[in-house]
Amino acid sequence: MSRLNIRKVAVLGAGVMGAQIAAHCANADLPVILFDLPGEEAHPDAGVEKALAGLKKLDPAPLATRDRLVAIEAANYAHNLARLGECDLVIEAIAEKMEWKRDLYQKVAPFVRADAIFASNTSGLSIASLAEAMPQTLRPRFCGLHFFNPPRYMPLVELIPTDSSNPALLDALETWLTTRLGKNVIRARDTPNFVANRVGVFSIVAVIHHTERLGLGFDEVDALTGPLIGRPKSATYRTADVVGLDTLAHVLDTMQATLEGDPWHRFFVQPTWLQSLVGQGALGQKTRLGIYRKDGKQITVLDPARQRYRPSAGEVAPEVGAILKVRDPVERFRQLRACPHPQARFLWAIFRDLFHYCAVHLAGVADNARDVDLAMRWGFGWSQGPFEIWQAAGWREIAQALQSDIASGATMSDAALPEWVLAREGVHEAAGAYSASSGTLVARTGLPVYRRQLYPDRVLGEAMADPAETLWESEGLRLWVRPDQDLGIGIVSFTSKMHAIGDEVMAGLQEALDRAERDLDGLVIWHEAPFAVGANLAQVAEACRAGQFDLLERMVDRFQQTAMRLRQAQVPVVVAMQGMTLGGGCEFAMHAAHRVMALESYVGLVEAGVGLIPAGGGSKAFALQAHRLAQRAAGGDVFPYIQTAFQTIAMATVAKSALEAQRLGFAQSSDDVLFNPHELLYVGLRRARAIAEAGYRPPLIEQAITVAGRDGIATCELMLVNMAEGGFISAHDYRVAKAVATALCGGEVDTGSRVGEQWILDVERALFVELLKTRETQQRIGHMLETGKPLRN
Amino acid sequence: MTGQIRDAYLVAATRSPVGRRNSLFRRVRPDDLLAHVLSAVVAKVPELDPGEIGDVIVGCAMPEAEQGMNVARIGLLLAGLPERVPGITINRFCASGLQAVADAAARIRLGEADVMIAAGTESMSAMPQIMGNKVSLNPAIFASPENLGIAFGMGLTAEKVAAQWQIGREDQDAFALESHRRAVAAIDAGLFADEITPYRVRSHLPGEVGVVRIVEQLRAVDEGPRRDASAEALAKLRPVFATRGSVTAGNSSQMSDGAAAVLLMSEAGLKRSGATPIARFRSYAVAGVPPQIMGIGPVEAIPRALAAAGLGVPDIDWMELNEAFAAQALAVIRQLGLDPARVNPLGGAIALGHPLGATGAIRTATLLSAMRRDPALRYGMISMCIGTGMGAAGVFERV
Repeated sequence: MSRLNIRKVAVLGAGVMGAQIAAHCANADLPVILFDLPGEEAHPDAGVEKALAGLKKLDPAPLATRDRLVAIEAANYAHNLARLGECDLVIEAIAEKMEWKRDLYQKVAPFVRADAIFASNTSGLSIASLAEAMPQTLRPRFCGLHFFNPPRYMPLVELIPTDSSNPALLDALETWLTTRLGKNVIRARDTPNFVANRVGVFSIVAVIHHTERLGLGFDEVDALTGPLIGRPKSATYRTADVVGLDTLAHVLDTMQATLEGDPWHRFFVQPTWLQSLVGQGALGQKTRLGIYRKDGKQITVLDPARQRYRPSAGEVAPEVGAILKVRDPVERFRQLRACPHPQARFLWAIFRDLFHYCAVHLAGVADNARDVDLAMRWGFGWSQGPFEIWQAAGWREIAQALQSDIASGATMSDAALPEWVLAREGVHEAAGAYSASSGTLVARTGLPVYRRQLYPDRVLGEAMADPAETLWESEGLRLWVRPDQDLGIGIVSFTSKMHAIGDEVMAGLQEALDRAERDLDGLVIWHEAPFAVGANLAQVAEACRAGQFDLLERMVDRFQQTAMRLRQAQVPVVVAMQGMTLGGGCEFAMHAAHRVMALESYVGLVEAGVGLIPAGGGSKAFALQAHRLAQRAAGGDVFPYIQTAFQTIAMATVAKSALEAQRLGFAQSSDDVLFNPHELLYVGLRRARAIAEAGYRPPLIEQAITVAGRDGIATCELMLVNMAEGGFISAHDYRVAKAVATALCGGEVDTGSRVGEQWILDVERALFVELLKTRETQQRIGHMLETGKPLRN
Repeated sequence: MTGQIRDAYLVAATRSPVGRRNSLFRRVRPDDLLAHVLSAVVAKVPELDPGEIGDVIVGCAMPEAEQGMNVARIGLLLAGLPERVPGITINRFCASGLQAVADAAARIRLGEADVMIAAGTESMSAMPQIMGNKVSLNPAIFASPENLGIAFGMGLTAEKVAAQWQIGREDQDAFALESHRRAVAAIDAGLFADEITPYRVRSHLPGEVGVVRIVEQLRAVDEGPRRDASAEALAKLRPVFATRGSVTAGNSSQMSDGAAAVLLMSEAGLKRSGATPIARFRSYAVAGVPPQIMGIGPVEAIPRALAAAGLGVPDIDWMELNEAFAAQALAVIRQLGLDPARVNPLGGAIALGHPLGATGAIRTATLLSAMRRDPALRYGMISMCIGTGMGAAGVFERV
């Protein structure tokens, strides 16, 4: 199979999933035609247009920038089916009704091009049955393609072949999904609900069952089944509200209908409280009423026994909380099993029944245990999959406890454990993950696209041959290479907490740059997300408390000089960034020769939030950018570019994607945006090599930057005076924002003056230190360190 | 003689419909709108030799870019007036159009001209920022508190007036609603038909295979007034200029595009052209107030203009008081004891829109049209507040 060239995508169905899948394709620069049923005669596309308008309001945002919407065209089945002929990939995402889907397939099939791929986003219907509605000729190009909600953010896509799917085409599609859309693909079997939902929904069923059995509150269970056990903050019931209680009810009904042979079948029913909520139209978040209800500022939760809402508390018992903090998972599970507290019994029960379910079904629903674990991590946001948790807790010990609970009738089902469970010491080994259907260990797929992932997500116990060689290491970072990739490109990885930039990182970076200039051809700064949350505020706060403002000034100077060193290095420095890239992290990134960014990069100069201004060269970088942009504009006025930067920085605006970062000026349009963060290092290394090979030369330090000066500052103040008088900002907000304006305008010099980069750095630094001396800024820093949230004072 | 060297007469006036910013006249140039009203007003007196026009004085509050480079001269040439007719653009912000009328009258009253045109044009759509194409303030404004008011946005000054004169949110919204009600009623009764010269918008759109498609639409009605305005909808709007404020988008004037022109003559001019005058220009006054409460400007200007005409508030039968904001209009009405029934009988800028420098000329056309309709009207007045703290008022007498 040669490469898959998808030039245009059709999405059938403009519901929640369809519209968001279309949005994510648009994010990836793919033109999309979004189809739905025709509306009334005069406005046949009104429904789709409404769905598209809705995309702008959804949070988290499906669109990486609002203007992406132009890539999506509205269409309807009555008038525009012929346009399917323009599309190389058709994704069906209509309601989960077999008959509706089959009817639609028959209707659209004649218009689908013979070389196009047709895929269904069904979350659980039989792909083989759907394929029957397809003409023979299309069947090799038909498969299931199951995205998770929200599709931009959930990495998992389940790819479900039928017996007639063309294997080479599936490989090409998996490759495309991985790099172009940035998804993590699991090949699933055509069994009801596939892998992630099969296990994930069972987990919910088990939680519901044991909640009721032990008489726990929904809020209490959410406190137990969230981050404390490595699952998302919204835990179980809050997630149900977010997803929609009607959806949960529908999924349970589907399981009731399709999983007749499942030993847990009798549990796949809607609990009476769910029936009653859905019956009343209380469907969760979308109707503002569900398991939880917001009464003004108070959150209340349904008490199903009393049929009323009570204030939500949801506290974990201290003894149970203490057990969950035990580091050793073997010990943790031992104590959970031994603890008589209902919360502990609940936790053991939900894990035990989940393990039981996974063990019994592994052979049927998944190729191997790794697929199950990764599916739960990527599709449900768990930090570990069920088999990983089990294996970490002591495979044999848990298996025996499970066995004895089955024997005593404590488990939800009395289904016998498969023989392999007690015969093994685990499912994840160096050689691969256990496949219950084949009885062997299965290694990862050798699809070439995965060679681009130098550090993919690994499961517990999976061997990782890491050819990394450390060249040098300090307290703040590690300098290393991947000889298998490029011996001449160094990799710098910060080792500080949240990759904050303190003295040790700056010193390390200076040393790494010295070494790179001596021994290497280029550098890539790369580590897992976040890229960097900014300067080390704790160090700043400490120096403030001690009144060491001279020291602080030197610290800022060092920051600036490190950023400049990064920019002026004789070898190219490529920043490979993902996640939060804030404050000083953003400034370092702005000074690099090039940026390779994951789409999910959240970039901003947020210093104003703690009463400061960007002083690690960030203000200077924007002044320089304005100067360069103005040179291309008639009249050469820098102020329009300063004004937009001023608004961005004074309001501490964070770009919500790499594409937005480019738009706001934190990154350049020539920078790379990757949809799959696992490919960052691979691309970063190659980018650094290419820049080096192109005869890299560091940019000249600009000595004649035209600045907006005094009139520019005054014009920024125009906005501040009105906001302050209108009561929108405090006196200190005014002061901080004016300092932002002053730095961006190059200080209080005549408008149109020409200054050097160092002059603006000096202005930045002086303003920064002045602000640090104010009580309000010190309070903001203290508050941020204590609570992690900005203080308005 | 009425205490003047000579009398100046208003002979004819016309205006374009007023469009909302970025709507009806989004892509119509303000010099085209000006040329349109100039040729229309001249056409109203067929016997007039256009070469006799002594000067064309055009008010414009942001005389730059599309309406820059002395838009008066460009507009009159585009209108096909003889090359010997001169033109000047003047700026007194929101009173520019009225100032143009007063200046044109002054030239006649001094005996320097027999025929003059006063006009106003403004396209707020053409301005990327409402303060002009390039905003640049003097740092000295921020150096001392007494100058800070120069930097206040107009909405903020309205909040200051609302606070000082205790004009509540409900009163402001009720005033806004009444403005819409009156404007819609006037449109339905055809009361603007006489003063408006319909404008043919010619759009050049990208068409099939590289051919420019031309679409023409005749616009004859003001776009601003809302038939669906309601107290509930107005009450829902949030204050935009202050966190605990009362001034909303609903009780502020609309940003708009439009133009108007007024023909003035001396008695000699009337004789030569055979034209019938509608009104005599009686007096004009401007006055300064603190910039941070600019909306109160008419309170200073109106008594001065009345005194110059030897008249009192009760003498004024019809008053066009520009509704920059309901808050300032109400403050002026209450402070001077104006009769609300005689103020803006056909609605004001909250409904009809406020194309800054054109408004004075536009409302002159409205007043003259009312005087032609109703012989009982004797004295009319046009007044408005002006950004950075001024007020202007002009008095007109039906003849």
